[in-house]
Amino acid sequence: MLQKADYNAAFFVAAALILFFIGGLLTTVVPPLLDQSWTKPFENSDPANGPTGKLNPLNEQQLQGRAIYVREGCWYCHTQQTRTLLADTKRSGWRGVDAPVSTPDEFVYDNPHLFGTKRTGPDLSRVGGKYNEQWHMAHFRNPADLVPGSIMPPFPWIANDPKEFAALVAYMQTLGRSKNWRPDNDYEK
Amino acid sequence: MEKEEIMQDAGEIPVSTAAVYSESIHEDRTAKLFLISSIVYFFIVGIIALLIAAKFVFPTFLGTIPQLTYGRLRPLHVNGMLFGWLLACDMALMYYIVPRLCGVKLWSEKLGMATAALWNVIILGAVVSLLMGWNQGWEYAELPLPLDVAVVVAWVMFGANLFLTIANRKYKAMYVSLWYAMGTILWTAFVYLTGNFATLFATGVNQANLNWMYVHNAVGLIFTPVGLAIAYYFIPKTSNTPLYSHKLSMIGFWSLAFVYVWTGAHHMIHGPISQWLQTITIVFSVMLLIPVWAAVYNFFSTMKGQWHQLRDNVSLKFLMSGVVFYLLTCFQGPMHSLRAVNAIVSKTDWIPGHAHMAVLGAFSFFAIAGAYYMVPRVFKTELYSNALANWSFWLFLIGGLGFFVTLWLGGFWQGWQWNNPAIPFIDTVIALKPIWHTRLASGFLMFGGIVAFAYNILATIVGSKGKEVNAEPAAAAA
Repeated sequence: MLQKADYNAAFFVAAALILFFIGGLLTTVVPPLLDQSWTKPFENSDPANGPTGKLNPLNEQQLQGRAIYVREGCWYCHTQQTRTLLADTKRSGWRGVDAPVSTPDEFVYDNPHLFGTKRTGPDLSRVGGKYNEQWHMAHFRNPADLVPGSIMPPFPWIANDPKEFAALVAYMQTLGRSKNWRPDNDYEK
Repeated sequence: MEKEEIMQDAGEIPVSTAAVYSESIHEDRTAKLFLISSIVYFFIVGIIALLIAAKFVFPTFLGTIPQLTYGRLRPLHVNGMLFGWLLACDMALMYYIVPRLCGVKLWSEKLGMATAALWNVIILGAVVSLLMGWNQGWEYAELPLPLDVAVVVAWVMFGANLFLTIANRKYKAMYVSLWYAMGTILWTAFVYLTGNFATLFATGVNQANLNWMYVHNAVGLIFTPVGLAIAYYFIPKTSNTPLYSHKLSMIGFWSLAFVYVWTGAHHMIHGPISQWLQTITIVFSVMLLIPVWAAVYNFFSTMKGQWHQLRDNVSLKFLMSGVVFYLLTCFQGPMHSLRAVNAIVSKTDWIPGHAHMAVLGAFSFFAIAGAYYMVPRVFKTELYSNALANWSFWLFLIGGLGFFVTLWLGGFWQGWQWNNPAIPFIDTVIALKPIWHTRLASGFLMFGGIVAFAYNILATIVGSKGKEVNAEPAAAAA
């Protein structure tokens, strides 16, 4: 049937595009129509259904911080997804409490998305509230001081710019917080 | 369609019985300009590759200048290699191959030269914007919007030029390389629009799904088909052996056209995306074995009884090692998508090992082979040094294997450590230091390959001035 494409360029173009568009449309346009959680922000007030909380859009300062995170390419080394793997929930967990897995409805406002593909440093999907501002200051000045063996480079131009530093930390403290997963609300500021 | 029949009128491919026409109808100005600029970027971006590999070993190296941090240099390395080197070299080879398979000259050298100029403006713009941190935050789609628009314009110019050449063709039957060239032009257009423009209208997981449809298909529907167009042309050509099976090449092409686009979401296996979509993407990822094995079987069978030719033919060495790497990388890909394997290798250093085998080991090897074949012919001279070309092959091969294999081992080890939460994360970082040392050393070998390749090509070009060899020059040598 497709042998006609050996001789007829117009037929070839049509066949190549039709085959491409079947999969193209079914895997990009259709899924968000079928799965509401891709577009409906997380909200839960019933503890019986898991962690409670509500996903809020970032404020102006947090958005500035997020832009810095994008500019510096933090997302090349840090993923933002606690996957459906036991080890991930333990590693994203803290003080003996496992973190809930990431769900699509927690990322509805993310633009650009920052899920990442490479984990050179630890995952940051639940880092919000784990470390206080002082810790972050010391860490951005020289990560290896706090974590011996760390290969994360120092970011003095952020640590030394009060506005940028405050914005970046404000953003990081929001990560994973739409689900209120800490039993005693023991988040650091 | 019988094999014999299609060969009769399929241009000069592979060992032609078709009407001979004069090579002199081809000006090849566009092909030359694209090729030279791509090789210059290969060299420059190769230095950046070494810098970022060094940062894993010496974390504070060049670390206090924002423009020289890992987060800014990595996208420059990726975009520079993908678009500055590989795609530009692939385009140069398409400007060379397509007119020859059609038996007519390129529709417009003027349009081609303008495309090459625009492409260089885009790459230089990319260098500036990525160093400044003007990064859109999407992998492979980091470039700011004005440059995205310029890429689309350049691609339309490229596509129009080749399609109009094909429309004017003298040979009625289109050889398989022409299908892959046309497929690349068509699919790339839509894949690129999805990854750089459709993403502007989506957020969160929806955006990630579009982004990864683009990322995956940038390899699967841009570099794979254009790479196969090159392999299908140059393997029979350099070995002077007819392609084994036309039918098999059809199976490979049309299954690729259907299967590849489904697999983008396999970048989010176990991640926050619908489980049923993960399952679909796994099924189609495994089906990728069909187009890959069809093409690889065809290439191997073509070489049957001809393997001795590899000894003296550098282009063929690159081509056939590229085929082996293609087979391996496309076996890894489907296996990674299986949930159990994915839980170990995903997000680890295995992945750059896999990605480099595809883009360097397979597709750059094809492009380098094409460059070694094309340059002496379009500049009407002989290759500057066959010995140096051999050196470039072994440097690339040993450096490449050193890079791939150590990262697989390291990545697998890392993945197992991650799956044991009793091991602190930092210990899994420290454990990988020997791996990163080996990677840097392998990087130096590969860079040696780039230097040998680039010097050889440029010396050939410079040396061609003034000593024009008449008639069909290196034909016998290759």
